[in-house]
Amino acid sequence: MTLLTDHDTVTLVRLLKMAYPHEAFPDGPYERTAQAVLAAVAGAPRQLAQLIQGLHDLDELREVPFAELDDDTALTVLRGIHEAAFFKNVRGVAVVALYDDHEVWDLLGYEGPSFDKGGYVDRGFNDLDWLPEPKISIEEASA
Amino acid sequence: MSRFDADDDDVVVVVGSGAGGGTLANELCQRGIRTVVLEAGPHLTGKDYHNDEWQAFSQMAWTDPRTTSGSWRLATDFPTLPAWIVKAVGGTTTHWAGATPRFKEHEFRIRSTYSDIDGASLLDWPITLTELEPYYDQAEVKMGSSHLHGRPPLPANNNYKVFANGAERVGYRRYATGPYATNAEPYDDRPATVQDGFNFQGDKGGSKWSTLVAELPKAEKTGKLDLRPDSHAVQILHDTRGRATAVLYTDSEGTLRRQRARVVCVAGNSIETPRLLLLSASALFPAGLGNSSGQVGRNYMRHTTATVWGQYDQPVRMYRGETMAGCIQDESRLDTSRGFAGGYYMQTIALGPAFFASFVAPGTWGPDFTSHMDAYRDTAGMWIVGEDMPQADNRVTLNDGVLDQHGLPVANVHFDDHPNDVAMREHAQRQGQAVYEAVGAKRTIVTPPYPSTHNLGTCRMSERPVDGVVDRHGRAHDVPNLFVSDGSQFTSGAAANPTLTIVALAIRQAEYIAGEYRRQGA
Ligand SMILES: Cc1cc2nc3c(=O)[nH]c(=O)nc-3n(C[C@H](O)[C@H](O)[C@H](O)COP(=O)(O)OP(=O)(O)OC[C@H]3O[C@@H](n4cnc5c(N)ncnc54)[C@H](O)[C@@H]3O)c2cc1C
Repeated sequence: MTLLTDHDTVTLVRLLKMAYPHEAFPDGPYERTAQAVLAAVAGAPRQLAQLIQGLHDLDELREVPFAELDDDTALTVLRGIHEAAFFKNVRGVAVVALYDDHEVWDLLGYEGPSFDKGGYVDRGFNDLDWLPEPKISIEEASA
Repeated sequence: MSRFDADDDDVVVVVGSGAGGGTLANELCQRGIRTVVLEAGPHLTGKDYHNDEWQAFSQMAWTDPRTTSGSWRLATDFPTLPAWIVKAVGGTTTHWAGATPRFKEHEFRIRSTYSDIDGASLLDWPITLTELEPYYDQAEVKMGSSHLHGRPPLPANNNYKVFANGAERVGYRRYATGPYATNAEPYDDRPATVQDGFNFQGDKGGSKWSTLVAELPKAEKTGKLDLRPDSHAVQILHDTRGRATAVLYTDSEGTLRRQRARVVCVAGNSIETPRLLLLSASALFPAGLGNSSGQVGRNYMRHTTATVWGQYDQPVRMYRGETMAGCIQDESRLDTSRGFAGGYYMQTIALGPAFFASFVAPGTWGPDFTSHMDAYRDTAGMWIVGEDMPQADNRVTLNDGVLDQHGLPVANVHFDDHPNDVAMREHAQRQGQAVYEAVGAKRTIVTPPYPSTHNLGTCRMSERPVDGVVDRHGRAHDVPNLFVSDGSQFTSGAAANPTLTIVALAIRQAEYIAGEYRRQGA
């Protein structure tokens, strides 16, 4: 990706962290999501053009580059551009890629594929214990 | 697999191998009738499936282009994906969950029961519950619906425990883990569920009823089935008397082929079925095959749906176990004092984080959105499914401006919510939130409709030919050897999930077609 600089990638990663902030997430998932965004626009010249322009514009909106803004200011900046086509495109890819990331599944407490492990029949499909056991059939009032 | 000659004009050709088409084909084969099934999608089986939401979706879903219009929110959220339907052998029964409630008696007579509702095109079915009951029994036995005909209930999973306890505390009494067409114990040569949680994906184990694992293999054993995957029907041909004679379809190479037929049955699901009839317009049928009434494509219904999530300060892990093995029936009653006609069911639902992120609040982002995601493990989910009003202008038409890979105009799906639909949805959302709050939810989230999983009504049954497309057996009023064999036949949608009724109608239709063969001396 020669048209986008390393600085652009840094801006993009920062944008993703601000748009999808999770205290518990390390950088890895955001960096992989940024790569997914770049891969998606690689074959779409119009979207790539909008991304180049959009990331550049982000740096112009305040005194300092976007990647150096504090969290509150960065969020305010994003709210201001939330209708921008490039930002919508980024979100369209990111909401799929970020939450399809297996490290993210782990962090959110999702266990992924299960059939090959025998399903959950012996691994806690019914282990919730903070509520009483409910009935599972309707008792018809005797007619 | 048998292979019948393309010029053999004594076969029945069935378009589509899902709930309607796959069942019909098996029932015809069991009665000795040679049947060709044309299925647009590939022949995937359990070992091909992925325990992964997006992978499974890309592998199996119908992603050929479609367009949308109208005021429904889907036209904004998912403009090119009006429906979630499968394109593969087995059709959408490979992605379905398994909830199998029956229609209620009054739901076959909505015109008489609800009288006139402004803007709705209400019509009574030409058949009654009493007529369909024997076929419901057969369908439930075939599908192994839990709680019925000696099939045991499924156990309570985590998501159900939250749902059922909430139901009890708000005063609901008619809740259970079914009826649900997945094996709690081995049945019909298929295993018991291992509670793997991948119901909306493609069931690797085969404990869930589908036409892929239950109907088509049985049909094949009769030697009467010729199943052709990767075969997309593009037109139905007819003779000068207006009888269907053959189906044109493209094979896996994209070559156009013709299969002659004595009877043609269309079961492509309620968007593709009217599309195929409209694409089959001719000099004799200028508005589309079987469309002298102008009703083909109209009265499209998709159920009034929504999802409610409850988030707790303790783990739920809703994704473990059977996705929809939980149903509250109390709100499905006939009771217009709630401010709307029709009823609704509440059913458990679970999504993985990948689908949850896309569907929980489409288009949103930022800290509010991510706080939903952070509570993923502690989330319980329920789906609302209720009767929506048929409306003449909610409609599938051909969009001549957009072509698919075969050069065929795609379907446009136009839908406006009826005020009755909106009132029901709001009621159901409030009740759903109450259920979760009753067991201590620290937050509830209401999610707008997903791409439609239930698609109904676009070739509806009617007593009089001017009111609909097919008669009480699903036979086209205009074309005596053309049948519609899927949910397109539905005169109204009822509150119930549709598949049991599609299957019951297919069994009944097969019996009727077989009777006709006998009468005509086959
Ligand atoms: C996630 C999900 C969960 C669901 N859960 C439930 C549930 O719990 N209970 C319930 O009752 N229902 C449920 N459903 C709905 C259920 O799957 C459908 O009602 C049912 O499968 C519809 O049957 P059908 O025969 O009309 O169409 P389908 O099963 O969709 O089959 C139609 C077939 O026709 C093929 N086809 C279309 N056009 C052509 C053509 N031109 N040429 C050749 N082939 C063609 C398609 O590829 C497809 O395979 C669910 C659906 C989804 C997506």
